[in-house]
Amino acid sequence: MKINPVYRQETRISARSYRLPLIILLCNSVLALVALLDMYSMINRVKTTAEIQYSSFLSLYVFVASIEFIMLLLIVPALTSGSISGERERQTLNLLLTTRMTPADIVVGKLLASLSTVFLLIVSSFPILALVFIYGGVTAADMGVVLLCFSSTALLAGCVGICCSSVFKRSAIATASSYCVMAVLVFGTMALFQFAASLRGGAAETPDGTIWLLLLNPAVSFAAAIKNQMGSLPRIPLLDTWAGNSAQGMTAGQWLGLGIGAQLAASGLCLWIAVCQVNPRRKKRWIS
Amino acid sequence: MLKIEGLKKLYGRTAALDGLTMHVKEGALYGFVGPNGAGKTTTIKILTGLLLPDGGTVTVDGRDAQKEPGKVMEKIGYIPDFFGVYDNLRVSEYMELFAACYGLYGLNARKRAMELLEQAGLGEKEDYYVDGLSRGMKQRLCLARALIHDPAILIMDEPTAGLDPRTRYEFKEILRELKEQGKTVIISSHILSELSEICTDIGIVEQGKMVLEGSMDQILSQINVRSPLMISIYENREKALGILKSHPLVETITIRHNDIMVGFGGDRDQEAELLRRLIDEGVMICGFMRERGNLEAVFMQITNHDEGRVLLHEN
Repeated sequence: MKINPVYRQETRISARSYRLPLIILLCNSVLALVALLDMYSMINRVKTTAEIQYSSFLSLYVFVASIEFIMLLLIVPALTSGSISGERERQTLNLLLTTRMTPADIVVGKLLASLSTVFLLIVSSFPILALVFIYGGVTAADMGVVLLCFSSTALLAGCVGICCSSVFKRSAIATASSYCVMAVLVFGTMALFQFAASLRGGAAETPDGTIWLLLLNPAVSFAAAIKNQMGSLPRIPLLDTWAGNSAQGMTAGQWLGLGIGAQLAASGLCLWIAVCQVNPRRKKRWIS
Repeated sequence: MLKIEGLKKLYGRTAALDGLTMHVKEGALYGFVGPNGAGKTTTIKILTGLLLPDGGTVTVDGRDAQKEPGKVMEKIGYIPDFFGVYDNLRVSEYMELFAACYGLYGLNARKRAMELLEQAGLGEKEDYYVDGLSRGMKQRLCLARALIHDPAILIMDEPTAGLDPRTRYEFKEILRELKEQGKTVIISSHILSELSEICTDIGIVEQGKMVLEGSMDQILSQINVRSPLMISIYENREKALGILKSHPLVETITIRHNDIMVGFGGDRDQEAELLRRLIDEGVMICGFMRERGNLEAVFMQITNHDEGRVLLHEN
C-alpha cells in the first residue's frame, strides 16, 4: 500500500520513541485523576447532605472535557512545531526535497504523523470522558460533537505549529512562536472583542463586527459546543457570555459549525504557507 | 549529458554565479573545483533543484531543468557534504524510506535497497541503527541512498571530507565502479590530488565563472608545457648559462645550487634540440626534465595564488 513515506517514517520513529506512550500516559493520568477526584468529591457531598445533584455529573463531563481541551492546546503545538525545523536541523529536509516528494507531500506527511499521535490521545481518553454515561445526561452524539471540536482544534494547532516550523529555522523559536500564535487566537481575539465591547460601554451582549474574530477562537467553539449540550456553564461563565446567547441571533449550534469552518479555513491557510515556505523553487523565504 | 549555460544567481547584490557555463559528458567523472565562495555549492543546489537560478539554463539529457524539474530530478542522485540521518531508523528502513520517496515500494524497494547496500559494503549492517554507524559507513550509506532510483548523474559535494585514508581509498574504488557502470559523476572537492587520480574531466570555477574546463589529460599536458625545465649541470655551468641566455625560447632562468630552472616556451622537439646543443657545446648534464604539472599547480595559477608562478620567473 502506498502510504506517504514521510508519514510512515515519522510514525515508525515515534512508535519506537518513549515520547508517545509517555504523552498518552501523562495526559490520561491527569484526566483520570481529575475525573476521579471530582467523582470522589461528589460522592462525599452525597454522603454529607444526602442529596443527589444529577447536574454535578454533567459538570464532571464539562470539567474533564475542558481539561482535555486545554491539554490539546498545550500539547499539539509542541508536537508539530519541531517537525519541519527539526528536518532542517538534521539536514534531512534537502534530501527529501531532491526526491520525487513534493513540498506538499512532506508537509502533509509531517502533519498527519503529528495528528495521528494527537488522535490516539483523544481516542484513548474517550473512556474517561465516557464516565458520564454511567449517570446519563449526555448522548453519544453530544460526545461526538465534542470530539469533532477537539479534532478541529488539534488540526488548527497542528497547522499553526507546522506553519511556524516552516517559517523559522530553529525548533525552539518555532515552538515559542506557535504558542504565541495560539495565545493570540485564544486570548487575543477574546481580548479584542472585550476591548471593543468596553468601548461601547461594556455591552458584550450586543456585539459588533469583532465577534466574527471569535470564530477563529477554538475555545469559543468548544464553549459553544458545551453550551449547546448543557444549556448553561456555571464553571466558565465568561465563555458563556462570549460565545453568546448567540452572536447576532445565532444559535450555539450554528456558531459551532461556523467556528469549525473558520478554523478549518485558517488551518488550510497555515498549511499553504508551510508548503510555500518549504518549496525550494519559491523565489524568496519570508524569514531566512 | 549535463549542460549549463550562462547560469546566474544573486544573493542580494552579490553575484554567487555570474554566467557560469559547464559541460559534462556522459560517463565522465567530473571534478568540480574552486576556492571557497566560488559558487560550487550554489551550482550544485541549482542542479539538485534546491535553489532557483536568476538566469541561464540547465539541461540534463536534453531536458530543461526549469521546465521539467521532476523529470530532471529523477536523473540526478545527490550526496551532500553532510549525512542527514534519522535517529531510531535502521539502515534498511532508511533505504526503504528514500525508495518510497522515488515511488519504489514493497518487495521492489527492499530488493533494490539490499543490492545497493551489498554494493556499498553494508549488506551485513541492514539491521543496524543509522546513527550508530561510523562516519565512513554513513558516507557509504549516503552513496547507496543516492543511487536508490538508479540515477544517470551522481552529484557529490565534498564526499571524502573527514574520512580516514582507508575509507577514502574504498570510496574511490566505488566511484571507479560507478564509472564502469556508465554513471556520470560530478564531484566537488578540495582534495585535488584525489580528484586528479580519479577524474576524467575537470572544471575550475572562480567568482561564479568557469575559468578552466576540459579533460584531465588535456589540462595537465597544457600545464606541463608551462612548467619549467630542470637542468642539472655537472660541469661548465657558465657556458650553459650563456647558451640559455642567448636562446630565443628561454623566458626565465633561475639558479638553485647546481640546478638551473628554465622557463622554456618550446615543445618537446625544441626541448630535445636544446639538450643536444648543450651537450654539443661541451656542457656536462646529469639531469634534464620538465617538471610535471599537477592539479594543485593548475588550481593555484588559475585562482591567482602566486606560489605556482614563482618557478616561471627569475628570483
